Amino acid sequence: MRGAFARWYEVATMAHDPNQPRTADAGPLDVAPRPWDYNPSSWPQRIPICILAMIAFFIAAYMGLYQWRLVSTAWDPIFGKQTEAVLDSGVSERMRHWFLVPDAIFGAVAYLGDAIFGLAGSTRRWQYRPWLVLIFGIDVIPLGIVSAVLVVLQGAVVGSWCFLCLVTAVISLILVYMAFDEVWSCLLYLKQVWQETRDKKLLWKAFCGLRTPEADRIADSFIKPPAE
Amino acid sequence: MWSRVVEIMLGCWLLISPFIFQHESGQVALWANDLGCGTAVILFALFSYWHPTRHAHVATMAVAVWLIGFAYWHGFGSAPPASQNHVILGMLLGMFAVIPNEATRPAPAAWEESISEDSNARQA
Repeated sequence: MRGAFARWYEVATMAHDPNQPRTADAGPLDVAPRPWDYNPSSWPQRIPICILAMIAFFIAAYMGLYQWRLVSTAWDPIFGKQTEAVLDSGVSERMRHWFLVPDAIFGAVAYLGDAIFGLAGSTRRWQYRPWLVLIFGIDVIPLGIVSAVLVVLQGAVVGSWCFLCLVTAVISLILVYMAFDEVWSCLLYLKQVWQETRDKKLLWKAFCGLRTPEADRIADSFIKPPAE
Repeated sequence: MWSRVVEIMLGCWLLISPFIFQHESGQVALWANDLGCGTAVILFALFSYWHPTRHAHVATMAVAVWLIGFAYWHGFGSAPPASQNHVILGMLLGMFAVIPNEATRPAPAAWEESISEDSNARQA
């Protein structure tokens, strides 16, 4: 416990000392929040999410380019011409009418968002910027599940299957699994702040990443020292 | 500050959009929208580098909402390429504008402020 406090003090002083390096990420930032014995906000946890999201971004953008007819055919090794049938289906046209852009482009922007929100923030952002972790979580988890369900539904409704759509749907679900731990820690931390203080203002401050002694204390009790 | 750099690049894209999407010389609203929004985005991003106006990038979110609204006002139904450009730029700018300046710094600037407020209160 003593060690955790010492480390906390290091972080707290580093934050307002202009002489400290601005990108100091190692050491005290790398702590394991409950219920994990690793740090879900660490770079080895987040970078793979960003890479996978970018792969999905390129696949979705490719399908969008077909819908824009900037490429003339859509590649599909298994279902052949069915991919083009899905991408040109009535459902897809209706979504294009409402979104103004092809639905695949809309999906590509959402995957790009996963990568952008995955890259932003320190390795202790579950505590320092809960709002950012939650935006990331909303982009990855509900949107990912909805898009995966939509892809499967589209296959069932249109009656054709699209290989690349299925690949992106699988990536969406893997991203949900990979991102879940950090979002969960963040929600548990906010829940703990609420349960111990019952103070809406404090909860709001914790959500925005504004520092309060109460939330500091709760976060201290919330972490395990990093595995040596 | 990487997010501000990307915003400046997107702002440049908006400035050249009238030429890429070939707005006709009579389409004053389209020209004004693209050039105005592009200039605003670049200025907000640049002002974010100056400490007193470091939150200027938040105003880019308003530009993003405006761009999407303008796209629906101008292009709903027919969705010309220029309007699709506005929707996409609006979504991208909205996402980037949320990212704080020193996002990867250990603690947000707000923590520094609360610390200095604490010490001021203690001195008073």
